[in-house]
Amino acid sequence: MEKTQQKPLWGPKKPLKSSYDAVIVGGGLHGLATAYFLARDHGITDVAVIDKNFIGYGGAGRNTAIVRANQRTQENVPLYKEALDLWPVLTKELDFNLMFNNCGNLNLMHSEAAMKAARMNISTAQFLGVESHLLDKKQVKDLEPALNVSEDIVYPIHGAMFHPPGGILRHDAVVWGLAKGVAGYGGDIHQQTEVTAINTEKGKIASVDTSAGSIKTPKVLVAAGGYSAAIINMMLGIRLPISVLTIQAMVTQPLKPLLDHVVSSGAYHVYCNQTLKGEIATGAHMDAWPNYTTLTTAHYIKHQAEALTQFLPCLAGLKFMRIWGGLADMTPDMAPIMDGNDHIRGFFMDCGWGYFGFKSCTSTGKYMAEFMATDEYPEMLKPFTLRRYEQHRLMGETPALVNYSPDN
Amino acid sequence: MMNRITNLPTLKIDPSKAVSLKYHDIPYQGCAGDTVATALYAGGVRIFGRSLKYHRPRGLYSLDGECSNTCMEIDAIPNERSENLPARDGMVVREQNVKGSAEHDKLSFIDKLDWAMPAGFYYHTMHKPAALWPLAMKQIRKAAGLGRLSPDFRQTGRFDEIFPSTEVCVIGGGPSGMQAALSAAEQGLRVILLEARPWLGGFYDYRTVQDDHAVPLYERGRKLAEKVSAHPGIRVLTHTSLVGTYNNGLVTAFRRGSSEDSFAERYIEIRAKSVVVATGCIERPLLFENNERPGVMQAGCAHRLLNTFGILPGKTAVFAVGHDLGLEAALDLHDQGVNIACIADLRTEGQNPDLLKALESRDITYQPGQTALEAHGKKLLTGVVLGSMDGSSQKTLPCDLLVASAGLTPVSGPLTINKGSVAYDAHTGSFLPDKLPENTRVAGRILGLGDPEAIEASGHLAGLQAAQDCGLDSAADLQKAEQALAELPGPEKGTDFVIGPVSGRKSFICFDEDTTIKNIKQAINKGFDVPELIKRFTSAGTGPGQGGIPDHNLPLFTALYQGSAQESVRPTNRRPPLTPIFLSTYAGRNHDMAKRTPMHDRQKQDGGIFRRLGVWRRARYFSEDLSCRQEVENVRSNVGIFDGSTLGKFRIHGPDCLKALDRVFVSDMHKVKQGRIKYTAMCNEDGCVIDDGVITKMGENDYFFTTSTGRAGATVEWIRYHTRYEGRDFHMVNLTDAFGVINLSGPNARKVIEKVVDQDISNEALPFSGVKGFSIGQNVEVFVMRLGFVGELSYEIHVPSSYMESVWDLLLEAGQEFGIMNFGVEAQNVLRMEKGHIILGQESEQRTNLLDVHLGFLWHRDKPEAKTVGSLALKQAEQDPDRLKLVGLKMQEAKVPGDGCVIVDESRIRGYVCTIRKSFSVDGIVGLALVEGPLAKPGSVVSIYEDECKGNLLKADVVPLPFYDPEGARMKA
Repeated sequence: MEKTQQKPLWGPKKPLKSSYDAVIVGGGLHGLATAYFLARDHGITDVAVIDKNFIGYGGAGRNTAIVRANQRTQENVPLYKEALDLWPVLTKELDFNLMFNNCGNLNLMHSEAAMKAARMNISTAQFLGVESHLLDKKQVKDLEPALNVSEDIVYPIHGAMFHPPGGILRHDAVVWGLAKGVAGYGGDIHQQTEVTAINTEKGKIASVDTSAGSIKTPKVLVAAGGYSAAIINMMLGIRLPISVLTIQAMVTQPLKPLLDHVVSSGAYHVYCNQTLKGEIATGAHMDAWPNYTTLTTAHYIKHQAEALTQFLPCLAGLKFMRIWGGLADMTPDMAPIMDGNDHIRGFFMDCGWGYFGFKSCTSTGKYMAEFMATDEYPEMLKPFTLRRYEQHRLMGETPALVNYSPDN
Repeated sequence: MMNRITNLPTLKIDPSKAVSLKYHDIPYQGCAGDTVATALYAGGVRIFGRSLKYHRPRGLYSLDGECSNTCMEIDAIPNERSENLPARDGMVVREQNVKGSAEHDKLSFIDKLDWAMPAGFYYHTMHKPAALWPLAMKQIRKAAGLGRLSPDFRQTGRFDEIFPSTEVCVIGGGPSGMQAALSAAEQGLRVILLEARPWLGGFYDYRTVQDDHAVPLYERGRKLAEKVSAHPGIRVLTHTSLVGTYNNGLVTAFRRGSSEDSFAERYIEIRAKSVVVATGCIERPLLFENNERPGVMQAGCAHRLLNTFGILPGKTAVFAVGHDLGLEAALDLHDQGVNIACIADLRTEGQNPDLLKALESRDITYQPGQTALEAHGKKLLTGVVLGSMDGSSQKTLPCDLLVASAGLTPVSGPLTINKGSVAYDAHTGSFLPDKLPENTRVAGRILGLGDPEAIEASGHLAGLQAAQDCGLDSAADLQKAEQALAELPGPEKGTDFVIGPVSGRKSFICFDEDTTIKNIKQAINKGFDVPELIKRFTSAGTGPGQGGIPDHNLPLFTALYQGSAQESVRPTNRRPPLTPIFLSTYAGRNHDMAKRTPMHDRQKQDGGIFRRLGVWRRARYFSEDLSCRQEVENVRSNVGIFDGSTLGKFRIHGPDCLKALDRVFVSDMHKVKQGRIKYTAMCNEDGCVIDDGVITKMGENDYFFTTSTGRAGATVEWIRYHTRYEGRDFHMVNLTDAFGVINLSGPNARKVIEKVVDQDISNEALPFSGVKGFSIGQNVEVFVMRLGFVGELSYEIHVPSSYMESVWDLLLEAGQEFGIMNFGVEAQNVLRMEKGHIILGQESEQRTNLLDVHLGFLWHRDKPEAKTVGSLALKQAEQDPDRLKLVGLKMQEAKVPGDGCVIVDESRIRGYVCTIRKSFSVDGIVGLALVEGPLAKPGSVVSIYEDECKGNLLKADVVPLPFYDPEGARMKA
């Protein structure tokens, strides 16, 4: 068949070279972003991004694409703030429309205790220069008229944390845009290439074996989302305090504009937003047991419907169209592990993001690239060291205790 | 009914019963049995809506909801599949995604702008300059989406749910499904049979062609259906669409209610030992220019319009088909008066010779090896260009109906969403089931079968296989059934994937997303070279039809275009729900499964304002004054009564129980004595406090302890988990719901309780920290602990739940003269804060350890027999000066900051306020906070950053705890 001439977005397929300056395991957002910033900021372009499947096939393409910078602690907020600030910058640099819909996030509060928790996040955000406000329920209703602010639901709405700088993007566009950027600088993206071993010599990274051949390299980053902990453990013997759980998300049939904000609720375990295509995309908590499958379950989507129809009752007249599952790699404090040059020289890891991996990918890529290029641990990343677990210094990113499984 | 053919034996409508709908404020008369779309079609409606992107007119194409063509707004509900939804009197129907009307859409010009919208064009446009994007986005939002939903919409009708279990669940009520159900039921098994249509029969039901015994297939189907319906072991659920299949035989579906039913829709969750998937086939859309022009429809659609609904789908028809079902449809249409201008058949061999003879006897032009290349007509079909695959021998035929169908493709979603797989099969030219999910069987056309005898034999076999899954030994029968099937005709030869020499500019591979062949080529050229990536880049298959149209064609076109083997591709992943399902149906009755204490109703009567706290509903306030001043002051000056029933309550006993307790509690549990309570806490491995409570010894190797409300559910597992390798011999009983707790607090508490108990409860007989059993009201056995959580003379009375109301009443009556009053959770919160007592979760967060909240005195470092959970971490933490520590705060000014405000210095956050109130018991505004070690010394001044303070910090002094009654004289009185 005759082919029309168009350029592949992330370059033509290339054979795997026998050596690279750096190898990044995982063609998701964190891997691609790191490769991009290695080239942009540090001139390191001889980089291979390898993925067992396709780029963006893991968490990068399975999340609900919500971005925000209203985290709980001062170690986290600046990282997410910078990530948020980078969306317009990257849109321009990559010359690729990432479809950032800066619609703001409305995080509903359903109790006095939740209002207190919100005030902590909000005063933290404001102190650190991030816009965020505590709203009462009348203000909430004015912003999002579809909400039910009456008392006749299980968890009546008391108010909300309103975070105008947040919003949603088109997650696939971010993957493709970054891939385009990486290829533009000369980086190689190898899809359907599986890592089989990471080899060290005298405490240093020496090479990476893949299904397409072996690569000599002094530096390896593992940013393989839900699979990072297993790869790092099985190939390098470093055990991480990570539990992997399935998290599901789903969309309704497409609608004309109905919701103007990201709406989330801790008490109901739901977040939802209307995509630019018009679907209501929604997700919630994780499955209650660790596993590596991306299978969906019958009860999760049912829970979602029960919850949504309480505080957004009009959605009862909508139909769910599609549900899918992805992996969340959870740490005991719900903050990630970004570390490197510890245990093994030249080995870097960026994992344990749980379900925060999308919103953080841009700034994380930038700092991980700095770390890999300079071998200096950036101040921004130091709080996320793996060693904090040895020292029993959790980050407090979540107020409540987490316990994914007794075997964490 | 004037516009209906009423004498067909296959009809499923009742022409004598009219149904009236409104569309464009014009009444349309359908009849009972119609769907909304068939009623409108009979009334002359041909354009049902406009497409998502290009606003192309769209009409009836399939009758099984495979695309969004006939999605309409019905009774204010968007995106209803009008082709599936039974018509009901009074329905109000509107078209979707139009500016104007479906006939005259002002946005139809967009169809000409396709050159400006290649695949993924939005990623390359509208972001330069950056200021353009927000404006463009607004327009995109308006343009996107199909239906419209009012934020004030409220779903009406009853939504229900059932959870049946069964041995065998058969999905699909066609011939093979019915036979499978019968064969399984005849083995004595319970069977549930699901069918999406209102009747059984599948693709037999509208077919007049005869089997080898000269019985028309519809009759053969009805006989089977009668047998199925009469069988006591088979529960037939018609009107029931499949939603999902999951591991361990879980099948979900929903059933639409009818006018006679009490529910609008019912969610169904079936647990089966074996599942038979007999979902048959849908048709493969034929690809040519304008292949979705209203007037183009699939063979089954045209055939069923006539035979099921008595509607002539057109006057002059051209057929472009690739299988015998198309020829059958042509014959029936011809016999009812449709002029068949020509039948183009992709096939040059393999046709049923009887059908060819029948065509010949009717003088119908039949052109083997030809197909449709382009449909003509601006809004409605006016003609079609037929020709050979190479583009030769083209001719244009005028027509108002084009029956276009390339072949059949199995409905394999129920397999693939449950870890089954499909593989390309060159003989049938389709993706046939490959790996099946556990305990799942398949039967009928999904296997590629076409012969009626073979289809039913495969059903029989699947029924027996299902019986085997259920543990029945049917080896001999199975062998016979396998042999019988082997002797019958196997899968039918299907056509290869083909596409004529078209530009592809308006050849739609996905109708819902307006994705054309040209778009797919663009995507592949951009590097999106596998169906999963193409799906993401072009949106093909992500619309309301959920892949029904592109599922078969997309992977095969991808292979063809890239010159790769058809075996190397597979369809994109299907996702549940396989049929779109209302959120209201999933939500069902939406029970709130909360726990109520024994005092729930009484407290409600007394004006309690309730809150859901964890699994419980609890009375938080007893007046609209949310500061609870009256409740608080009454406890301080008289006596208050509080329902503490939600406390976790546990008995642990057995020879090793003390060792188990030593492992999880931080204290030396050997020191727990009879008649005394001990306050202690549990930590996790990080030394963080996870629970606190009191414990007492009931007898030899027999202890009773309480936990915090929120932790009660996890306690037993926690203790078992941490003693799992040591073979400890002990038992635990969760008594949380078996006992209620009444907390009687205040200086008058003893006077109240003295009136109702049978023993001496003086301070000497039952001192602070004492525990004692009593009989209240002559015969209710209770035990009473002297505690001081709120800082007053206080009794915690543990009462069997069933006696709670009686005991509560006795105390209320006894307390009348002492000013007894209810107090709620918030008053307790204020009272205990004044006393400097913490509530876990309020004065602690995930990372707060035992030492941080000054409970280090509870920790016993040397336990020879048990290493306390968390002790290692606590030893480390002792060396760490920067941790957040609990402190008392007293505001320097009159403003009460909100709970949760952060404590800051110039550049950093140094802590946060946990609970702070204007105190009614001590002077000023006091509260508890967690602040970094260096700030935690009494005498330091902290700055509080409240939200919206714009940098104006509030000052507070760090002061010693507690604020109230530091000597504890009142609680020990």
